[in-house]
Parts: sequence; C-alpha cells; structure tokens
Amino acid sequence: MKRQHYLTALFFLFHLGAFSQTILSGKVLDEKNQPLPGVNIYIKGSYDGATSDVDGSFEFETEEEGSQTIIYQLMGFKTQEFAIDCDSSPISLQNVSLREMITDMNAVTISAGAMQASDASKAVVLKPLDIVTTPSAMGDIIGAFQTLPGTSTVGNDGRLFVRGGDASEVGIYIDGLRVGNAYGSTAGNFPTRTRFNPNLFKGTFFSTGGYSAEYGQALSSALALNSKDISPRSQGDLSLLSLGGGYSHTLSSDKQSITLTGNFFDLGPYQNLVKQNIDWERGPHSWDLEMASQKKLADGSLLKVMARTESGGMKLWQKQPGKEGRGVFIDLDNRYTFAQTNWKKAYENGWTLFSGISYSNNKDDIFYDSVNLQKNSKLIHAKFTGIKDFSDRISANSGIEYIQNDYSEGIVEANLERDYTDHQFYGFTEWDFYLSKKLVFRTGLRGGNSSLNQETWVDPRASFAYQVSENGQISLAGGTFSQVPTENFRALTPELKNVKSKHLILNYLYGANGRTLRAEAFYKSYDNLVTFDGSPMAPEKPINEGKGFAKGIDLFYRESRLIKNTDFWVTYSFVDSKRQFDQYSTKVQPAFAPRHNFSVVAKHGFQKLQSQLGMSFSMNDGYAYTDPNQSGEMNSKTRSFQNLSLSWSYLPKPNLIIHFAVSNVLGRENVFGYQYAQTPNASGVYESLPSGQAAPRFLLLGVFLTLSKDKTANNLNNL
Amino acid sequence: MKKYILIFALSFICIHVANASDPAFEKAMSKQIQAMATIQTLEESQKVSNSFLRISEAQPEEWLPLYYASLLQIESAFRFDINKDQAFDQALEYIEKAKKIAPENSELTALEGYAVMGKLSVDPANRGQNLTPEAMQLFGKAIALDRENPRAVLLMAQMELGMAQFFGSGPEKACGVARMGSDLLQKEKGKINESYILPTWGERMASQFEKVCQ
Repeated sequence: MKRQHYLTALFFLFHLGAFSQTILSGKVLDEKNQPLPGVNIYIKGSYDGATSDVDGSFEFETEEEGSQTIIYQLMGFKTQEFAIDCDSSPISLQNVSLREMITDMNAVTISAGAMQASDASKAVVLKPLDIVTTPSAMGDIIGAFQTLPGTSTVGNDGRLFVRGGDASEVGIYIDGLRVGNAYGSTAGNFPTRTRFNPNLFKGTFFSTGGYSAEYGQALSSALALNSKDISPRSQGDLSLLSLGGGYSHTLSSDKQSITLTGNFFDLGPYQNLVKQNIDWERGPHSWDLEMASQKKLADGSLLKVMARTESGGMKLWQKQPGKEGRGVFIDLDNRYTFAQTNWKKAYENGWTLFSGISYSNNKDDIFYDSVNLQKNSKLIHAKFTGIKDFSDRISANSGIEYIQNDYSEGIVEANLERDYTDHQFYGFTEWDFYLSKKLVFRTGLRGGNSSLNQETWVDPRASFAYQVSENGQISLAGGTFSQVPTENFRALTPELKNVKSKHLILNYLYGANGRTLRAEAFYKSYDNLVTFDGSPMAPEKPINEGKGFAKGIDLFYRESRLIKNTDFWVTYSFVDSKRQFDQYSTKVQPAFAPRHNFSVVAKHGFQKLQSQLGMSFSMNDGYAYTDPNQSGEMNSKTRSFQNLSLSWSYLPKPNLIIHFAVSNVLGRENVFGYQYAQTPNASGVYESLPSGQAAPRFLLLGVFLTLSKDKTANNLNNL
Repeated sequence: MKKYILIFALSFICIHVANASDPAFEKAMSKQIQAMATIQTLEESQKVSNSFLRISEAQPEEWLPLYYASLLQIESAFRFDINKDQAFDQALEYIEKAKKIAPENSELTALEGYAVMGKLSVDPANRGQNLTPEAMQLFGKAIALDRENPRAVLLMAQMELGMAQFFGSGPEKACGVARMGSDLLQKEKGKINESYILPTWGERMASQFEKVCQ
C-alpha cells in the first residue's frame, strides 16, 4: 500500500515538473561594460534559453528544476557558467560580462620585418599566386620577392639580397627545416634560380629582419616556405616550355596524396635562336625528379615527405679583359639532392608538436681553364619543437635543433683538398604575451654551439606590436643574429668566429579594403665580418676583422580595388650600407646594395579575352664597383638598372594556361659591374669588360595543361 | 509481486521519458526550421542559430542541429554585412563537429562544399586555384554518398556556372546539372511531411537557375 502511495507521488512529481516554470532574466555586457547582443544563454542540458538583444538583455522560461547550470556563450568570447537554483519564482540574474578571446583572426600580429604570402584576409603583402604571375619573376620564387621592400635585384646573380646583406645571409627553410644550396649552381655571370617549384608551397613567410628566435644561421633575412597539405584531387599536370618541359602526376585520396614530378630543361636551342652576350659552348641544361607526399595519420597528425634529385650543367667561354680570344673555358656540372620529412600534430590540450629532418647534398664539378675544382657540401638539419598555448593570451614556442655540415673542396690535379665537419646544436624558446588583442609582446632567446670554431653563443630577440587604429598598427623588433662564416672561408680557417649582426626595425602597417600600406625604418650593424687577402676567386688568410652597417627605409603600397580588375603594388627601398668585408680594406658600399630601389608590379584581368596582362618595372640607381684606374675602393657606380617585363596569361579553359613573358622589353643594356684586367696594359690602363646581362631580353613561352579524370562528371552521368 | 509491478511501472516511466525526448527534439527542430524561413535580419538569424546550438548542446548525438547552425552561418555571410571569412570558418567548425557524429553524410559533405564555395567567393582570383577543386571534390563526394541529394547537385551546378562565367563560356553544362537538381528537389517533395526535419532547402537556388537557363 505504501508503495502505491509512493508511485502516485512519483507520478505527480513527474507531471508537476512539467508545469512548473522559472522565468530567468538578465543582461550581458562586454569588457567595457557595453551591451553585448547575440549571446546564447541557456540551461545546460536543456533546450531552454535565449539570445541577448541589442541592449544585452534576455529573458526566458525554463521547466527545469532545482540546481542547474546557466551558460553564456558567444563565438569569439570566453564561455561563462554559473550555478542557479530554479524554484518557479522569477530569477533576475546579475549582469555578466564576457571577455573576448584573442584569436589569430582578431589579434594584432608582429609585422616588423615580416611579409607573408598567404590567403589570409589580413593585410597581405603577397598572395601565393603572385609568385607565378609576376612577370619579372619568370616563375622563380625569389624573382617575386625581389619586387618586395628591403630587397635589391642583382641581375647577374639572381639570388636574394636583403638590406645590404650578401646572398649567404638569407636563410631558406622548407617547413622550418633548412635547405642547403637552395639555388642552382651557376658560372660566368649567368643568373641562378631557386631549385624549388613555387607550386610545392601553399604559403611563404619572408622576413627582412628582426625575425623569430626559431630561425638561426640567417644574418639578414629568413625565407620560410610552407609545403602544401594533402592534394584535393588526383590529376596530371603537363608543362611545355620554350626551354623544356615536365610532367607531374598526383594521386590523391581522403587521407593521403603523392605527387611525382619530372622536368627537363635545356636553354641551348633557345640560345641558338636568340643572340646571346655570353659565349656558350653548351647552354644551361638540367633534369630533375621530385616526390612529395602527405599523409594524415590515424591520430590526426600530418606526415610529409619530400625528396628531390637533379643534375645540371653548362659550358661557356668567359672573355678576359685586355686579352684576345674567347677567354677562359668554364665547364660546370652539378648534382643536387634534397630530402626531408616532418611530422606535426596539434593536441586538444594546447600542445602542437613538430619534428623533422632535412638532408641536402650539393656537388659541383668545375673546370676553370682546365683546372678541375670539386666542391661538395652536405647539410643535415634535425629539429624538434613544441608550441604550447597556455591560454589565449600566452603561448610559447620552444625547440632543439642539430645541424651537421660537411664540406670539402679540392683541386684534383694539384692533389689539394680542404674539408671540415661541423656539428651544431641549438636551443630556442620564444614567448608571446597578449596584453590585449591590440598589444602583443614577444621575447625570445636562441642559443647555439659549433664544434668547429668551438664557439657558444646566445642571441636575445624581442618585438612588440600595437594596434593604433582600426586598420593600422605599429611594430618594433630587435635582436642579435649570428651565422657561421661561409663554407669556403671555414675550409681555409676552421677557427673563424661567427659573423654577428644587430637589427632594429620600426614598422607601420595599414591594411583595409584591398589596400595595404607598409612603411619601415631599420638599422642593422655588422660585426666579425670575414675579410681576406687576395682576390675573391682565391681568398687567403680570412679573419673576422670586418665591420659595417646598413640603415634605411622601405615603402610598400598595394591596391587591388581602386581600378576594376587591376591589382598593383609599388615598392621603394632606400639602403645606406657600408661595410668592410671580403677583400676590401675600408668600409665600402657593397656592389649588391644599390641605394635607391624602386619597383612596380601591376596585373590587369581582361575577362572577355580570358586573359591577364602582367607588367613589372624595376630600377635602381646603379651598382658600386672599383675602377683600378682611379684611387680608392668602390670608387665608381654603374648606370641605373632598369627592367620592364611583360607577361600575358591566357586561360581558354579551366585546365589550360598559355603563358608568355618577356623580360627587359625595352632592351636596356644593364651593367652590374665591370671586370678589370689583373695588370695594366702598355699605356698603363687597366682594361675592363662590363658584367652585363646574358641577353638583352629573355622570352618564355609555356603551355600548362591539367589532366584530371573528372569524377564529378562521371557521377552526374549516373544520376 | 508488487515489487515486480513497481519495477515494471518504473521501467515504463523510464521508457516513456526516453521516448519523449524524440518528439521533443523533433518539435524543437521543426519550430526552428520554420523560424529559419522567416529570417530577415542578422539578429533573427543569430537567434535561430543559437537555438540550434542549444539543441545541439542538449542532444550531442544529433548532427542536424549543427547542420542548420552551420547553414545559417553560411547564409548570413552571403546575405548580411559581416566578416565573411570568419562566418565561413565558423560554419566549417560546426561541420567538423557534426562529421564526428555522422561521418560520410551526404548533406554534411554538400554543406562543407557550400562553405568552401563561400570562402572562394571572397577572393576568387587568388583562391580559385586551390578552392575550386576542393569544392568540386566535396560536391562530387556528396553526390556519390547520396545520388538523390538535390542540394549537392544544385551546388555543383552553381560551381559550374561560376566557372563558366569566369572562363566566359556558356551556362549549358551548369544548366544541365541544375535541371537534374531541380528534378531531385521535386522528387524530394513527396517525402516531406509535418515531422520532416532533414534538409529540404534549394528551391531558391533552383529558381535562380530557371532564370539563367531560359
């Protein structure tokens, strides 16, 4: 009987519950006590809740009873929870203020020295596609970066020169791992290119100074290339160029993809057709094979593998000033291999782990006037990093690295060989502190040790960024940077100390509505630069006695919406650099650091013609050189460098692109310096030859065809 | 004996309660789906979206509330003046969550393609190269998972139309695909009754195609 009562009671209780309602009301504010609309307020585990109004207030009824949890939730804000007691009487809740979360999307980023090529919607300096569509770049990654502030074009070299630093001062990384000999080997004033195809990468980070403690062995600049993730579809890509061709095949599934590529280039036939300034015996030629694979593992981590091997060469006669005949015969053969693998995983608890290893091996076999010079450089870079987000306000990036560098060079006939092996260990830690979404401080420390010169060093770095207006921000970065001397000097004198530099950079960045304005001022000092006796071809007794500085300003303006279908950017860089280095006994303006550098790139789409016209114009005020007929070093300057390049891309079908580009359309005779005779002639004058362009113009015609089995279409036919 | 009756009765109550949640879920969903049709402002969209999120929180085993919350994000990005990239990213986040509940779901895959298409529309010149194949692949997969999904077919037609416009070719191919989508939509109508809470949208897209394809 008692049990029956119990049941009845239970029954009533159950139904009573359904009819008892509690009215809840309250107000939500933001950090500044302003009303916050759109907040989702609800009782945990129930459907009952409401959305806050324009004035931040809300009211709703709930049938839930007793102790409950009320949740305040809004995208981008930190969720809050409170315990409440629902007992059918109306509850007026206290005002709740939600704190905005700091995310990549809304927070200020450090922009001093940094330029990112990405698809992100923020102020973007370069987009990934720009690398292939900048006419003067001719599809070379570095070529596109030469139109950005802080760089200078050295047309007979082709490498990247940043703010008065030489090309070896730019560290190049793929997925954070160092790439040895990233540029192809070349000879006799013929400009080189990066070995890597821009299509391998989804984004690029380029810094002209003051960069993160994660990047070492880079005195002036860091260029970090991020490889692509899993390919969305299987396809074949055929490219036919006026200089060669290649085929790339991608196999893809949900969880993994693999791309195999083979290319063959030969400039010989082209150089036979178009008159060349270089006396070629055999034009530059090369082949390469490449594999890139990405796999998503069962635990959600991503594994990438990339491997590349290539072979190339050229034969040419280099005319000597003051001498009759074709000059010196140069025969270059190059073998290069690069491989890397890396693994990355983001854990739920705020940790992101990365580990990777890269291997580069470069062999040059050069005959210079029948003297056989052989060079071999090997680089292994192993890296393990952990990023921990302690909260949305504090995060740390720390890691350990190991680099092994083997180098040997020798003259076969003379039985002369020099070599070394260096083991380097590094550790770094870097901390980001967001005081608000408008203000961030970053402080980092990088330490290293080299077994070869037995030096241990520590480089502190710091930067901050502050958002001054809705779309504008200022950023300051500074720190010290170290780099071991270049391989040929170390082989001569293994004890050579590190070359050192200090950077200080002030940056202003404005970005809104398809417009980016960037202004930067910098000062950079150099210490321990390597100087030597003798000539650059045969340096002797290198020592760390050189010093120098570089200072200047950069301006960059990009506009994509002002003129319909037109996107353009304008860059001006002023560099005042003097340094004592190499064979110079005084502080001089380096040949690779013209003072005034200007470039403009514009692209206009013609929708009806299914085409894009590209234009790029670069100029500088000329390169310094030493004229031995006058007193002093670097006592002269070449005429101004100017290059107008045009390109036309035609897309008749979604899978077909026809691309035509011409560099130096106006045929200006650019000179990058002069080569002088070692001894004066009979009348006491040192005779000279200009170091100019390989040819007045360079023409490129390419046809790019994508072949894919259109699975989607097949599916549609079956409907 | 009485003891057993009690157990039986209690278990009955329990079953009753457990079953009750389904009609309640359907009712709550129906209410919000009806509210969706009347959305005129961003505030209204946010209200309905929040309601779906509440249902999702209370019913974490259901993918549909997340589906609709995501759809509302995508539609508000197209309709209202908000940060589009942020809205599409949020939509993709909900889809990710829903995919964990219902993997290999045709509707969710099509919706993911829709969000990718949205991201593409923000900057077609630069994102087209990467996102076009991604969106097409997702629509293709959605169709493979359910050949009668009109939304997957109509969205693919939309992509085809966009590409045709970009390359200056005619809309014939897109129109052919759209016609198949419209037919599927008609066919789907037969299934819809009062308690039908699965996605049924697509009418507006189909009628837009009718204008283009005349």
